[in-house]
Amino acid sequence: MAKRLMDNAKLGIFVVSGLLFLVLLLYMIGKNRNLFGSTYELKVKFENVQGLMTGNNVRVSGIEAGTVKKINILNDTTIEVTLLIEKRMQTIIRRNAIVSIGTEGLVGNKVVNIVPSREPANLAVEGDFLSSQKNVDTYEMIQTLSKTNNDVAEIATGLKTTIQKINSSSGLWALLNDSTIPKNLRISVANIKVATGKAAGMANSLNELVSDVKSGKGSLGEILKDTGIAYNLNEAILKINKVGSEADSLAREVSELIDGVKQDINSGKGTVNLILRDSVAAAKLSVSLDNIQKGTDGFNQNMEALKHSFLLSGYFRKQEKKKQKAEKADSLPK
Amino acid sequence: MPIPKTSKAFLSEAGDMARFTAKFFKQGFKPRYEVAEFMHQCFVIGYKSLPLVALTAFILGLVLTMQLRPSMVDYGVESQLPAIVGIAIVREIGPVITALIFAGKIGSSIGAELGSMRVTEQIDAMEVSGTNPFKYLVVTRVLAATLMLPVLVMLGDAISLYGSYLGVNIRATTSFNLYWTQVFDNLEFYDVVPSFLKSFFFGFAVAVVGCYKGYNSSKGTEGVGRSANSAVVVSSVMIFVIDLLAVQITDIFGFN
Amino acid sequence: MTQEKQLLQAGNLLQQGHMLVISHLYKSFGNNHVLIDFNLELKKGESVVVLGKSGSGKSVLIKCIIGLLKPDQGRIEVFGENIPDINEDELDQIRAKVGFLFQSNALYDSMTVRENLEFPLRRHWIQVAQDEVNKMVQEALDDVGLAHTVDMMPAELSGGMRKRIALARTLILKPEIILYDEPTTGLDPITGKEIIELMVEIQHKYNTTSLIISHDMNCVKMASNKVVILLEGKCFAMGTYDQLKQNNDPKVKQFFE
Repeated sequence: MAKRLMDNAKLGIFVVSGLLFLVLLLYMIGKNRNLFGSTYELKVKFENVQGLMTGNNVRVSGIEAGTVKKINILNDTTIEVTLLIEKRMQTIIRRNAIVSIGTEGLVGNKVVNIVPSREPANLAVEGDFLSSQKNVDTYEMIQTLSKTNNDVAEIATGLKTTIQKINSSSGLWALLNDSTIPKNLRISVANIKVATGKAAGMANSLNELVSDVKSGKGSLGEILKDTGIAYNLNEAILKINKVGSEADSLAREVSELIDGVKQDINSGKGTVNLILRDSVAAAKLSVSLDNIQKGTDGFNQNMEALKHSFLLSGYFRKQEKKKQKAEKADSLPK
Repeated sequence: MPIPKTSKAFLSEAGDMARFTAKFFKQGFKPRYEVAEFMHQCFVIGYKSLPLVALTAFILGLVLTMQLRPSMVDYGVESQLPAIVGIAIVREIGPVITALIFAGKIGSSIGAELGSMRVTEQIDAMEVSGTNPFKYLVVTRVLAATLMLPVLVMLGDAISLYGSYLGVNIRATTSFNLYWTQVFDNLEFYDVVPSFLKSFFFGFAVAVVGCYKGYNSSKGTEGVGRSANSAVVVSSVMIFVIDLLAVQITDIFGFN
Repeated sequence: MTQEKQLLQAGNLLQQGHMLVISHLYKSFGNNHVLIDFNLELKKGESVVVLGKSGSGKSVLIKCIIGLLKPDQGRIEVFGENIPDINEDELDQIRAKVGFLFQSNALYDSMTVRENLEFPLRRHWIQVAQDEVNKMVQEALDDVGLAHTVDMMPAELSGGMRKRIALARTLILKPEIILYDEPTTGLDPITGKEIIELMVEIQHKYNTTSLIISHDMNCVKMASNKVVILLEGKCFAMGTYDQLKQNNDPKVKQFFE
């Protein structure tokens, strides 16, 4: 008998503990779903509830505060959502709180967020309507993001082609990279200077010659007393002078440019910046080079004119012959 | 079309078993009630199975957690380990494994006990002693198993979850509080209730099959052995069949 | 009308001291006709042995009497009630007065000797006080001389002891009729003899009516006032042991060789 009683007692403990765990399990779940404890209801109207379901959590400033009790479609643009809020939140939620629907995590359950407003207002009571906020839902967000993405992609392709162009224009790169360019430029400027100097010298000697001729010294003076020749000579000298001044300004310009380039190369800050700045510099450079070209062309023309003047033809012919010889010497060994 | 002999035997056995089950319902709810024997059977079937169930449940929870961890770590959701183990244990593994252990222990013991009682005329003796052996032996055992298995499943779940808690703590540190919060946070009523309800059916199936096999045991000790063996085999299969049905039904009602 | 008549008839028979009347009993399992028009009468205080070969349907007969098997046809009247007709409650009342000693003893393995003995008591008369129960258990065990085994499990007992305990369990309800299903089977001759002596002793002590199923001639010789030979499903021959021993029918003779 006593044994049977003991057995029954053990059985009782066994069953009770099993049922206790069941009750605990159900209670914990129920507690999570706010089935127990006192609650009150608040209502919100939405245009779109984005898949919100009854039982979804409600959070007040991020704290679990209740669940969605009911979702009612009032008409084609209004959906009334009834929220079951824990009583302890009664002193927290005010009438002007903003309600929005969000997502737990990126792909999680929907959740109703109640965010208090900063303005003062009365506390919300049972059955009050709170104002909703059309919030950015993930879909819209993703749509916007994709548009932004497209734009970014376009910009990126633009940038890419620009960079590719810059990359593929070997001239510019050579210009930018090659440290010899400034040097070359400098040499060419120096050359121009020398040329100008020479031109000046030539003008002086021509002046001397002219004054000699004017005063009729020697046979050459006689010959040159012809006014036509004198006019020609005058013109030639003027042109040479002009070339000299043009070459001067050119040289200044180039030297300025070289200074700019040097500065840029030395203080290279960030690639894009550098490239952009350099491209400006490159444009500047090319214009300057054009100018130089033009100037030199003009100078050449003037020199050509001088060449045709019979007085100097001998000198220039010698030059021509030398050049031809050099060319021959170059081509012969090949 | 002639029915093959084996199918015929199977069908007639299925029919007999259905009739046996019907007899249970017919006799089970009529007085007189064998309360004392029912309590004793609850003690034997429920309480005495607890150590075995507890051990297997504990090991299972621990092993499941340790086995799941690498995959969870691979997906970077190691923190969800308690949630996933909790759901697996409560929904499926707890009830089914406990029921299988239960079938092994109780199904076979009922089959062997009733089989040997049948063979040694104890069942006849009971009837002669003014006791309805069906009520005294079958109804009490079936009811006891039906009611005790859910209790065992619940305790098994609890122990399994504790084992899983230790499993989580082998590699990482989780406070007991956080673990339980995570487990309960991810459980829903429709995780617990269907699995609790189906364990009644598991218990019922195990006991009915065991009783049927034992009660209709053929003469001789070999018959007893066969009863015990087929009780375990058939009830284990039944558990899976019921499990399948349960998941289909909960699916139909949208509780999944 | 006929029922009343039958009841009247049964009453008459009872008055004449008939405890058990079997008339025109048929029982078959499929095509195996075990009992074909079997008749038997048992008077108070009589001890009848049903003699037959194994598988001749002796056990079927005895199980029909106690209501474990339902006969196909015929009447089995115990204390005037036709067993196949009565409901379960009435059957239980009859069974309380009819003891049955099983061939395999049928002791409940999961219970102690005391619980085994208490079992039929509690089942039939729930409201018996514990003191009374203890007394009855003690008495029944004293009858079979095994008082010291009261708290042992059946598995701890020898074959002869188990048979005695089974007999004690049968006796505890003080039955008016005891049905013995092959009481000496599975026992060595000496123990068998002891059991038979015990049966006879009890018979005298409580003046019970006995129906013994056996093929043990020792048992037949010692325990019977009347012998019935069950052959081919019929009551082939009837008489005292000595009468049948003189019988020249070869089918009867084979039992006495």
